[in-house]
Amino acid sequence: MRRFRRWGPALLLVSPSLLLIGLFVYGFAGWNAKVSTSTSRGYQISDDYIGTDNYEKLFADERFGLDVRNVLIFTLVFVLGAMATGLVLALLLERGIRFESFFRSSFIFPMALSLIAVGIVWRWLLKGGEPVGGLNKVFDSLGLDFLVGDWYQSGSSWAIASIALPAGWALSGYIMALFLAGIRGVPDELREAARVDGANEPRVFWHIVRPMLWPVVMSALVILAHISLKTFDLLLAIVPKGNLGLDTPAMYMWYTSFDGGFYGRGATIATLLLAGIALVIVPYIWYSVRSERKK
Amino acid sequence: MNVDITNAEAAGITLDGVDKVYRGGVKAVSGVDLTIDPGEFMVLVGPSGCGKSTLLRMIAGLEEVTAGRVHIGDTDVTNKLPQQRDVAMVFQSYALYPRMSVRRNMEFGLRMRGTKAAERKARAAEVAETLGLAHLLERRPAALSGGQRQRVAMGRAIVRRPKVFLMDEPLSNLDAKLRVSMRAELSRLHQRLGVTTVYVTHDQIEAMTLGQRVAVLRDGVLQQCDTPANLFHKPVNLFVAAFIGSPGMNFVSARVEGGRVGFGGLSIPVPEGRTLADGEVILGVRPTGITLPGEGRPALTAVPEVIEDLGDERHVVFPVAAPRVDTDATRAAVDAESADDVLLPDDHARFTVKLPIDVPVTLGEPLELAINPARLHFFDPATGAAL
Amino acid sequence: MSAATLDDTTVPKGQTPRKGHGRIRSRWAPYVTVLKYALLLFFLVFFLMPVYALVVTSLKDPAEVGVDTVWNLPSTLSFDSFATVWPKLQDGLVNSLMLAIPASLISSLLGAANGFVLSKWRFPGADFVFPLILFGMFIPYQSVLIPMTETMSFLGLKGGLDGLILVHIIYGLPLTTLIFRSYFAGISDEIVEAAEVDGAGMLRTFFHVALPVAPPAFAVAIIWQFTSAWNDFLFGAVLTTNRAYWPVTIALNNIAGGQAVPFNEAMASALIACLPTLLVYILLGRFFMRGLMAGALKG
Repeated sequence: MRRFRRWGPALLLVSPSLLLIGLFVYGFAGWNAKVSTSTSRGYQISDDYIGTDNYEKLFADERFGLDVRNVLIFTLVFVLGAMATGLVLALLLERGIRFESFFRSSFIFPMALSLIAVGIVWRWLLKGGEPVGGLNKVFDSLGLDFLVGDWYQSGSSWAIASIALPAGWALSGYIMALFLAGIRGVPDELREAARVDGANEPRVFWHIVRPMLWPVVMSALVILAHISLKTFDLLLAIVPKGNLGLDTPAMYMWYTSFDGGFYGRGATIATLLLAGIALVIVPYIWYSVRSERKK
Repeated sequence: MNVDITNAEAAGITLDGVDKVYRGGVKAVSGVDLTIDPGEFMVLVGPSGCGKSTLLRMIAGLEEVTAGRVHIGDTDVTNKLPQQRDVAMVFQSYALYPRMSVRRNMEFGLRMRGTKAAERKARAAEVAETLGLAHLLERRPAALSGGQRQRVAMGRAIVRRPKVFLMDEPLSNLDAKLRVSMRAELSRLHQRLGVTTVYVTHDQIEAMTLGQRVAVLRDGVLQQCDTPANLFHKPVNLFVAAFIGSPGMNFVSARVEGGRVGFGGLSIPVPEGRTLADGEVILGVRPTGITLPGEGRPALTAVPEVIEDLGDERHVVFPVAAPRVDTDATRAAVDAESADDVLLPDDHARFTVKLPIDVPVTLGEPLELAINPARLHFFDPATGAAL
Repeated sequence: MSAATLDDTTVPKGQTPRKGHGRIRSRWAPYVTVLKYALLLFFLVFFLMPVYALVVTSLKDPAEVGVDTVWNLPSTLSFDSFATVWPKLQDGLVNSLMLAIPASLISSLLGAANGFVLSKWRFPGADFVFPLILFGMFIPYQSVLIPMTETMSFLGLKGGLDGLILVHIIYGLPLTTLIFRSYFAGISDEIVEAAEVDGAGMLRTFFHVALPVAPPAFAVAIIWQFTSAWNDFLFGAVLTTNRAYWPVTIALNNIAGGQAVPFNEAMASALIACLPTLLVYILLGRFFMRGLMAGALKG
């Protein structure tokens, strides 16, 4: 009874939230997994059970294979690009820059924009072909002809990589902020000790700061990777409908479920997507919570 | 093992009119001239914000000198980067590199200076042996106790065999007992290594016990640089007198007239060999300068207000019927920001006296004491300078 | 997870003014500085380039617009593009406001309660529940969309704004809970204990001790939730069937998404749809940033 008097009100206060999260996150994800084992089509969820049929069909599906390949290429280019840009920006801003907050804000503001809008703008900036415009025009007039290209319209199997440019534009600032916080979290005295010990600035960074940035690198990688896997709005706004060369699982899921009503197949893709993301996110949450508890 | 860590080549340090002005015009250090002899243990002491750390950081090269020159040995290092100065520093937080083992921490400075791996290893092992760290070499700093970290920080400096050791409050993060034993260890190390050492502390006991000479700073200005005994017995001004000694020197406003100095109904002859002009003075006397009555010393009746038993001695606080001295200098010496920081029932001066434990004292009961005229200090009330 | 309690701005400031400013410069320092500013300018141009294109194109006379002249300044200012797209976006803007405001407020309030309980009134099992809540922050929405449409239409909440608001509240909870948990964790336990000793129960401690000190956390949570709800596309696309209830992102995608849409209209509508969150960012950027940093969960 005393236990209830102490914990009762607290539990009552959080239970609505917990119930809703339980239902909408775990309940729905579970239900979705169940839908993936049914034939569900025609915008209807059916109750039959067909085991792993949908999965087997999907793995045999040429389009899905292409999608996976696409999303992996996109993830690779986007994650590496955004990490590198974010780190360079953080190093540039790290110390003693005038107008630092102006620069910082200018690099981060894309985070506040709707990715649909970002996609619309970049769709035009990355337009290939004639007349030469957008980014190509810039390269052209700077004499950097070799950079002029057809980008996402190129039809090459790497065309999806060009979407990493707008995605990196939107998220590099975030990564910069993470690195900046990490670099500035290194106590001044450590750098000073290293200087007195005879290290010049590059060596201070390499031997003292860099090893302390691993947690930030991990965070940034995980965040970028999971965002990359579920990227949807940006692709929807840039990629013309029906262009399978730029298709990804998230897009496939959308079109097959809500354009075609194939809930069974859509749920299968979504379950695989969730599994892929859980693979990076669960260890990350586990690690964060554990390191918090250690403090 | 024959430990060869003593051959560091000691170098003196010369500060020549050194100023430090921060952006925004705050003057942290002004016009400091100081010569530190080769092999000397010099302590910089003062209340917080007096510029002692800034001064040390300027010697290290971590802080640019606004004006003046800094020499280490014969070299002008004023514009040299820290890594070009061959100094080693022990930080208050120890600043151990968290991702390196104790060994790699100690070897880091040698590595940066291109010492061969085998020699690095040997030297780190030697120093670790001397400091009792040999069994901890492969640990990370996080797995060490406070005292062990402190010794690793010392070790990291010693391994380098630098021309100069700089220490910024290296003991202040230790608890009181450990601090005392580390203090002794530091003295021993210095005797053995003979390296020029500049040591910053706000703790005047640490300063007095460690320093061969002690430089007292206030508001960025060097007040006095002398041996501990001279600082104690011949302070040049009110601030130094108030800052050095624990419990602090007792002060009272007094008046000199015709070779006698009077306060609170008491009249004492000015000690022999000293001439004082008539007028207001600030009189100071250390707690040990007031004794039990005897040998014709001027008597003093004290009514104890507070009695503190310390086991083998006793501090007795009693009021004196004269105004208390409360100047910027005395306040700065106790790190008080305003006069209100200490709550007193009236504006009379309070004297503290150290008495042997076997003298019976009762609160409120009058007690006969005497002042030792030889131990009186006189200061100019306007300038605070010793008279 | 202290990121949400960072004081002042987004990221900790550089060295304290006491230190570092007076450092001795190496002789390479001037060259490094020049190089730094050159690179910063390059990146500045890169990041602002799309905004330039957006603004300049929207303000051009429609006759003057072309992909090949995208970088040219307008010869005359014209608001024709805005005038053309405004009627198509108007309803969307109102809908987005009507959903983002209540969703962010309610989500933040519930998040405050959760955060308080999870940091200061930890019931047995709280440490187990928290990571489960956190996972909700990273879940791909695709994996809940199908059951969600089914449930919402069963509840009669599909099609209108109320269902959308509910969904935004729920999926906002993980982050708001995290923001408030970190914020309250930064407040001394002794304050809560003092209230307990004074006889206040959990609810009173929450309302009289915790909430009055929480406005900064509310600012972070509300602003971040507002931005996410405003920018959301998936939920809106699935749950609103009638164009009268389209949030602005759906409207935007339908106006400007087609490849046949005139360039200037696409840009003008994108600019209009972005303006509210952009304004929030410009005016209250530091709160926005703290929400961002909280989402990164760094230990």
